[in-house]
Amino acid sequence: MNDVTRHDAPQAPADREQEVETLLPPVDIFEDGNALHLIADMPGVTRESLHIEVDNNVLSLEGEVRLEMPEGLTAIYAEVRAQRYARRFTLSHEIDAEAIQARIDNGVVELVLPRKETHRRRRIEVKAA
Amino acid sequence: MFGDLRRFDTGRTQGLDWFRQWMDEMLPEAGAADIRSVPRGSFPMINVGRTDDAVRVYVFAAGLSAEELEVSLQDNVLTVSGRRGPDAAPEAAAARTDFRLERFRGEFSRSLALPDGLDVERAEARFRDGVCEVLLPKREELKPRRIAIQAA
Repeated sequence: MNDVTRHDAPQAPADREQEVETLLPPVDIFEDGNALHLIADMPGVTRESLHIEVDNNVLSLEGEVRLEMPEGLTAIYAEVRAQRYARRFTLSHEIDAEAIQARIDNGVVELVLPRKETHRRRRIEVKAA
Repeated sequence: MFGDLRRFDTGRTQGLDWFRQWMDEMLPEAGAADIRSVPRGSFPMINVGRTDDAVRVYVFAAGLSAEELEVSLQDNVLTVSGRRGPDAAPEAAAARTDFRLERFRGEFSRSLALPDGLDVERAEARFRDGVCEVLLPKREELKPRRIAIQAA
């Protein structure tokens, strides 16, 4: 009987503890001319704690909230209840993953995802006959 | 860092917000809500913490500069207000195709009642990486103090 309970004791609670809660940053995505633009609000994230990656056509945006907090701070009220932001997007094939540019300013991440040269819009001259 | 904040579990985390909002619309809450309560995910989000000698308010206002965010205190009520405008000029905005517009824009104002006994005169505010930290020191008489026990 003791054996049974021991075997049944799932290890799930320990795993669940490790699962880090993440925040979903709000984003604006728009396209103009030759590039897609992505703007995300990630307050508290620094240049060092921001990770942007493209793997297998999936763009992932992750950042850790780095706040200077004194020792012994206890919460009275909290709306932001995790310290990591994460969001992923699938890219379409015409995005040039090599040429993606990113910058972070005041907690706002701005990504420029240019289209590949071959997929850019081009104007066709109409010649007079 | 925010781990112990979770014990004040008054609602869902932000990631589930859209679902919760949708559910709230479908099935309006039977219970009464505070008349001044704001829906979760309002801009800017606010955390409040306390140490032995001060109360610290963290305002998560990405994309705002120190000049654009106004922090004021009156009758122990802290108000943060400001405006986050569109990030592009109107003519540039007209030439683009928007796919998602989730970020807050426009004017905002949020108020928060603070605990008693703070020294408002010595309040300080700092802005870093889109987070404004307001430090409100406690008045001297409210700080915890150790009482020496004398031998009889």
